[in-house]
Amino acid sequence: MTMAAGKDLKTILTKLQYSDDAKVVQQITAQMKQVQARMAGIKQKLVVMSGKGGVGKSMTTVNLALAFARQGAKVGLLDVDLNGPCVPRMMGLHGQSLRMTPEGAQPPVGPLGIKVASMDFFLDDASPVRWKGPMDLSPVWLGLMEMNVIREFLADVVWGELDYLLADLPPGAAADKPPVIAGFIPDLAGAIVVTTPSEVASDVVQKSVTYARDMGIRVLGVVENMSEYRCPSCGAENELFEGNTEAMCEVLDLPLLGRIPFDRKFAKTFDKGQPLLDPEYPTIQKYQDIVGRIQALLDYKKVLAEKL
Amino acid sequence: MKFVCLNCETYMTFQKVEKPGEGSLGVFFGCPSCEAKFSMVTNPGETQMVASLGVKLGGRTETAEPFEMTRGTLKEEAQAGAGQMAAYLNEKIQGGQPVAAAAKPSAPDAGGEKTSGGCPFSAMVAEMGLTSGGKPQNGNGTSECTWTADAKEKLERLPSFVKPMVQSSVEAYARKHGYKSITLQVMDDSKSDSPNGIAWTKDAEQRMDNIPDFIRPMARREIERIAKERGLVEITAQVMDEAKEKFMKFM
Repeated sequence: MTMAAGKDLKTILTKLQYSDDAKVVQQITAQMKQVQARMAGIKQKLVVMSGKGGVGKSMTTVNLALAFARQGAKVGLLDVDLNGPCVPRMMGLHGQSLRMTPEGAQPPVGPLGIKVASMDFFLDDASPVRWKGPMDLSPVWLGLMEMNVIREFLADVVWGELDYLLADLPPGAAADKPPVIAGFIPDLAGAIVVTTPSEVASDVVQKSVTYARDMGIRVLGVVENMSEYRCPSCGAENELFEGNTEAMCEVLDLPLLGRIPFDRKFAKTFDKGQPLLDPEYPTIQKYQDIVGRIQALLDYKKVLAEKL
Repeated sequence: MKFVCLNCETYMTFQKVEKPGEGSLGVFFGCPSCEAKFSMVTNPGETQMVASLGVKLGGRTETAEPFEMTRGTLKEEAQAGAGQMAAYLNEKIQGGQPVAAAAKPSAPDAGGEKTSGGCPFSAMVAEMGLTSGGKPQNGNGTSECTWTADAKEKLERLPSFVKPMVQSSVEAYARKHGYKSITLQVMDDSKSDSPNGIAWTKDAEQRMDNIPDFIRPMARREIERIAKERGLVEITAQVMDEAKEKFMKFM
């Protein structure tokens, strides 16, 4: 094929009017509008994240959701950990599924009326997430695919009117998915960061805080999980790690929202899918205190108006 | 993606999509002027990229079902097996050799020019001012400030993971204020130094004591933002009054 005499591509393109024949841009715009429409009924959207795996993000997210619900709030819980979803099991909903309706996917409802959405609802027992197609050689396409799956969780689940939606993000630090996912949620109220008092965890967690801030995400504060070990026999609490989360918070200029002990008796109930809900239980009261602080932080302008 | 008919100097128009084979798409375009037609055929990877966007080429004829992409792309147990892309590359590109072996870079040509044949990613990294270790070049980590023994001891007592951050922020404060020696006093003063370069009067600082401690960092940032918006470099009691008035609107 010969190009028209004396014309280069740049010159040709300046004369042409671009049109989106394949309608890709139009569809992506429609997808984002659907996310916004679905999220519009939710007053406060929060993400729970950490740079480190194994610090208890899911346990924290589930218990914060329960604590909000215990105060009478309407709560949704989104398990964004696509490859290691565990929220349904902790909430006693493992084995259930999303019910597809013309209005969207109706989520199962767990203890205290909490609506739950998770990849777990699409998987058989012991099955990992496997995608069709050439994922074996392409982490780039895998990333794109996973972001769109998360987009469907935000756009297609019938959350209805909620006071709080809490998203349990997968582990990861800088240049990884969590802050990007958080950026995907319109009008995100803030992020809660979970760490353990170990120096290794704190080291990684502070990187994820910095990255989240670079992305413009408001980090509300830090929850120190596994602060101490609560003896299941006598209830005595002893240190589990030797770290200094307070020092990390001071350096990052973040409030320490609370400390949660490693409580075997309590954890076991979530492992069994029969979460302990007794509001008088000491560990649960600690979550209630944290939720009170989160609410004050979300309403900080009112606090400042009263007390400044 | 658009195609241009160079003879007619016009965009070709999208016509249809077909599936010529498993994991492949044929996307048809035609020139509205000269009737020339052609089909772009995608490999499994390219097909996957389009699928990952959750879109239909040419637009939708009906509304998407809930979780259409998730349900449509989750592999069923029976399908779990050898990778499609690996097989494709092996057959089409690597001449039947294992992909990993064929992907090995060839030995550099001893007589070749090093500058033009280099790795494009290394060049990009170099352009970004990063070394292969991910750290900025010229960052030798040595400090032009001297630390007094007691200040150094205080720094050493900090947990290892916060020490570098504290050290750099104190040294930045010392540089900003022209201090050559870092004393305990400089360390303490640096704590109340705002990264925005905004100072707080004692009155203003005292009023912050009324705020619950876990809200203080956020309150401080918000008040400094208000001051910055107004072009102020100091937070005074008057700025605090104005901030309070602004927050009253949220009651």
